[in-house]
Amino acid sequence: MLRTFFEHGVFIYGCTLLFMYALLAYMSYRGIIRFRKKSSFTNYDHLLDSPLTPGISVIAPAFNEGVTIIMNVRSLLTLNYTRFEVIIVNDGSTDDTLEKLINEFELVPVDFAYNERIVTKPVRQLYKSTNTAYDKLLVIDKINGKSKADASNAGINAASFDYFLCTDVDCIIEKDTLLRMVKPFMDEEHKKTREVGEPCPQCGFIHVVEDSRQVIATGATLRLANSLDVDEGVILRVRPPEKLLPRFQEMEYIRAYVLGKMGWSGLNSVPNVSGGLGLFDKEVAIKAGGYDHASFAEDMDIVTRMCAYMLDNKMKYAIRYIPTTQCWTEGPPNMKIFSRQRTRWGRGLAEIITIHRKLFFNPRYKKLGLVVLPYNLFFEFLAPVIEFIGILYYIYLGLTGQVNWQYALILLLFVYLYSVMITTLAICWDQITYGYYKTWREVIGLALMAFFEPLLYHPLIVFFALRGYWYFLIGKKSAWGNMQRQGFGKRK
Amino acid sequence: MYIQVPEFLEPAWNLFQGAPLAIQLAMIFIVITTVITLLAYVSILRNRFRGYQRAKRLGKLLPLLDNLIVEEVLANQDPLAQTQPDAVQLNLESFYQLPLHKKWARQATTDRIIHFRRNVRGNPGRLLRTLYLQLELDKDNVKQMKSSKWERKVRALTEFIEMDIPIADVTILPLTNSHNRELRAAARHAYIKLSKNEPFKFFDVVTDPLLMWDQVELFRIITTTEDIAIPNFARWVTYSSNRSVVSFCLKLIVHYNQLPAVPAVKQLLDTKDHYLRAEAINCLGKLRVPDIEDKLVYMYSSQPLQCQIEILKAIGRIGGGQHIDFLKQEFLHSTNFDLRKSAAKSIVKNESIANKILQELLDTADPGRLLILKHCMNPLIKY
Amino acid sequence: MVLFTGLNSATMNKILLIEDDEIMPKVVARILQPPDYQLDHVSNGKEAFEKLEATGYDYALIITDIMMPYANGFEILSKVKSHDREKPIPVIIVSNAGNEDMIMEAFKLGADDFLKKPIIPAELIIRVKRLLMNK
Repeated sequence: MLRTFFEHGVFIYGCTLLFMYALLAYMSYRGIIRFRKKSSFTNYDHLLDSPLTPGISVIAPAFNEGVTIIMNVRSLLTLNYTRFEVIIVNDGSTDDTLEKLINEFELVPVDFAYNERIVTKPVRQLYKSTNTAYDKLLVIDKINGKSKADASNAGINAASFDYFLCTDVDCIIEKDTLLRMVKPFMDEEHKKTREVGEPCPQCGFIHVVEDSRQVIATGATLRLANSLDVDEGVILRVRPPEKLLPRFQEMEYIRAYVLGKMGWSGLNSVPNVSGGLGLFDKEVAIKAGGYDHASFAEDMDIVTRMCAYMLDNKMKYAIRYIPTTQCWTEGPPNMKIFSRQRTRWGRGLAEIITIHRKLFFNPRYKKLGLVVLPYNLFFEFLAPVIEFIGILYYIYLGLTGQVNWQYALILLLFVYLYSVMITTLAICWDQITYGYYKTWREVIGLALMAFFEPLLYHPLIVFFALRGYWYFLIGKKSAWGNMQRQGFGKRK
Repeated sequence: MYIQVPEFLEPAWNLFQGAPLAIQLAMIFIVITTVITLLAYVSILRNRFRGYQRAKRLGKLLPLLDNLIVEEVLANQDPLAQTQPDAVQLNLESFYQLPLHKKWARQATTDRIIHFRRNVRGNPGRLLRTLYLQLELDKDNVKQMKSSKWERKVRALTEFIEMDIPIADVTILPLTNSHNRELRAAARHAYIKLSKNEPFKFFDVVTDPLLMWDQVELFRIITTTEDIAIPNFARWVTYSSNRSVVSFCLKLIVHYNQLPAVPAVKQLLDTKDHYLRAEAINCLGKLRVPDIEDKLVYMYSSQPLQCQIEILKAIGRIGGGQHIDFLKQEFLHSTNFDLRKSAAKSIVKNESIANKILQELLDTADPGRLLILKHCMNPLIKY
Repeated sequence: MVLFTGLNSATMNKILLIEDDEIMPKVVARILQPPDYQLDHVSNGKEAFEKLEATGYDYALIITDIMMPYANGFEILSKVKSHDREKPIPVIIVSNAGNEDMIMEAFKLGADDFLKKPIIPAELIIRVKRLLMNK
């Protein structure tokens, strides 16, 4: 009885999962084709000389980045946009990060009316440049908060524009990122009100409520910077990582963004905007409480809270993704750091599931409660667990001689080929978006990794995720230092 | 039913017939997934090959093309020449050595001419347009216009706008009612730019909202088209029932500094939509309407936050000087940080009139407020 | 005397164009031709600094875009204007981003002229001549 229940359950689960992947692939294809059609006649440069262009605050926390900080800040300052500021939050670095910034950009301390709308560790001093050429730069020096979240919050508090781009100092950002990422915000009607009910007896007016769908965040594709040819923050040539581990990650990122996020974007149910690159509506982010500095998955956490805030206040919202790659991030080059990163992600996911459990299956939270979070629970969170139990079960059946090996092999082959297909499609969609990489050899070389992934890379992911859950259960103190928390923290 | 199965598939076929449904499905899907994967590979390779070919062809064509265009358009330009640039007969001989009988080459030429026009205007700009017409590149675009695909129509309209080629109203007007939003927007832009009669007519009829992006495009078109008659936008501020049109007109009123529109904008101070009200206040402030300050101060206390901020800013911009005390009051007693900051900014902006009050505030304010004042007075901090 | 003026005019009209678009240099090269002008073109901030260092800031005029890789036009402008020279090199900004803030910023940094793309070539020639005459 229990056994048939289990087997049927797993069968239905598997079918749903495969169906979801197919659906996402289809939705993302539609999204990409639509994006391509639109970009064939969109001239983003029109934003450059318009007085109507929305302002953006670029926020990048830095911790002990002395070696590369100057180059990275310079790269951020040369983004193609007109109304923006760059806020570097020096999160209590113990090296010469701040001194270098002060010397290079001719900074002086200023009396800055800093409004602490989100509580953070104390801010020591704010700096502005005396050179007009760097007047877009603001540097915040604060006491170390042991998390990127705390530093980002300080940046949000000091930001002067309505939108903020959250990124990392060590990310390499494409020059036209702000132009492209702000477009989805401008494609929805904003700030509209609607009258409801009879005139109010007190004031004589008919009361009005917000009535417009507001884009609260946009994201874009991230890729790995490991084998990129970069010169002082300027990308010279894009190539897939040469080493095996980063190469698998690149493939995984493409699948997660181009197929996953784009697909979800088409269903208007994006679960997460990456901490590596995301453009947010500042007001909503602050009202939702900013980043949670105690979270292991602060990026997913803030997006969930922003959505919940919008729904609580009966406002319509959307999160959008664009398929083009706007950000390159250094991925873990070796197994040690990689295992830490993935364990952390696993733990973060477990945390999100428990913190936001009240939203699950709650019809008040519409798609968030009925689609986004349940999907994450069943197919992101539980997948490694079910997979692990499945393998144990199979071993048991095999040992007791209850397996029809012929059928088992057919099923296995099917699942294997299906996963290869999904990955290949993701790379195909990615190539439709833009011809990344220079030669066809590089593309095919990456696509062929799909054949090895289920055997080599996937078991690792499952193992690290399970380890993350385990650490979460036993409440293990985080063993990783500041460095790992800052870098290599970009959830896909 | 008997199906002829090739010999090597015989075992698989036998297996398939004897298997339970789930296994049968799995076997079918094995075939399907394999086919799709192969197709994806073919598509990737085809895509790459085409990209490679295109790059190679363009690599050969573009340098030649650039030289020809530069010579033809920039070399012989003489601003005092008698002939109008539109009427010049260009020497096209050398252009015919290019493979212009091929569609891709014509498209590349068009794109290049547009690229040039984004860099130069004046006489050479008009010569570029003449070149486009005399090479008959517009014919491709007219064809594209007739395509049934919306994105091609939009592309065609964008090209006509860039090249400033007039289109008949009868062609554009139906498109302004298209079901496709992008096409509708592009048709509106084209109408404003290219229609000879009443370019702003669509402001009267448009019912769907002008999105921010549309507004950016429209703003650019309206403010860069040279021979467009700018109407008094007050007309739509008063009569339009489309709030995005009203909001957009407010921005145009500011841009053209249309003082005659002030009475219409003042009317908006009574609107129930607080976003629109805030925009109206912002507009009045930027126009520096002197006699509005009293009214703004009078209505201040009953306003939502965004309107209050705009009122404080407007008073700073207008700078009449009668309401410095009001600013000081707000600065000292408001509980909201943004209000305090806006008030302080406005006081600092009117330093010449308010220097006494400013000094007094600097001497007496508590540390938090002093910080705000210093922030606003620091020339290094822009916002 | 003849030799002297000849030499002088040769150095006088050396112009550096810093621009990452590929069309603009072709246009400028066509309208500012030898023998009156000698035009050097670099396509980003880094090359610009390298060129300026290598030539010892020996230019009669600089025409620069604003948004470019490595370093933007403002940075180049501020460096050129603060360079230790008897008289700073005149700089014309040619940019496709021309909102009020940017124009103000450019002039604050000491730009001598600001042209918004698309430019009128004849106008550029006149402005170049005027700046060179002032020298």
